[in-house]
Amino acid sequence: MEKAKAAGSGNRPLSNRLGIKSWIWGGNYTLERYLYTLHRLTGLGMLLFITVHLVAHGFRLGGVESWSDIMTVFGHPGFKVGEYLVITAFIIHALNGARLILQQLGYTLGKPKTPVYPYVDSLRRRRPMVWVMLGLITALAIFFLIVFVT
Amino acid sequence: MRESQLKVLQYIAGIALFFFVAIHVVVSHVFGDSVSWEAVSGRAASAGWLAFYVLLLIFGLYHGIHGLRTIILELPIPKPPAKVIDGTLVVIGIAIFGYAVYIPINALLTL
Repeated sequence: MEKAKAAGSGNRPLSNRLGIKSWIWGGNYTLERYLYTLHRLTGLGMLLFITVHLVAHGFRLGGVESWSDIMTVFGHPGFKVGEYLVITAFIIHALNGARLILQQLGYTLGKPKTPVYPYVDSLRRRRPMVWVMLGLITALAIFFLIVFVT
Repeated sequence: MRESQLKVLQYIAGIALFFFVAIHVVVSHVFGDSVSWEAVSGRAASAGWLAFYVLLLIFGLYHGIHGLRTIILELPIPKPPAKVIDGTLVVIGIAIFGYAVYIPINALLTL
């Protein structure tokens, strides 16, 4: 009985046994599951960045010299790479978030049809949208890379 | 507030952030030298830009902190009751908001 409860029988939700490990591997994961992991990693990364960004802005309180000093530090190539990674994280998080909202609201389900063998599940019906999104992410990441390099 | 309402707010904040962050990144970091002292002070002195950044902050903090809350509540780690986590995150959010808003207001007052 206890075992069944732990496994999430009845009205209890399934327990998240694997925890953070499930972000990487927990069985036969699909592409969408890895996008879920990427969505969380980019979200946490940007949350960390916002904190650093606001602390950096605090240097304005020290006047022109203090501001110039911190801007000199952020002009270092290492920070420029970091800045590019943040923009790429934003692109991934924003486009994947838009996909999740559209799916949640049911806009990508398509019209109901008579099931004909071989059956196509809803995940595969939505797959082209995932590929379009990944294409857009790649194109925008390349565009911003060119902007940063030049 | 119900969980579904919090989630809807998360979506609204996310959609708003898309536009706000895109404008912020393009104006401040991609085109032109917009992080010089003069440019930053100029934007801080403008009521329009100030309102823009306060809204960006509100949407960003809500979206980020609610996302973090979702992750914390989902992980099977020893944690205090959900209300304690919620309270702590709200206090952290208000503290960050206060600090971030104080910077341009202080700059305006010392102009």
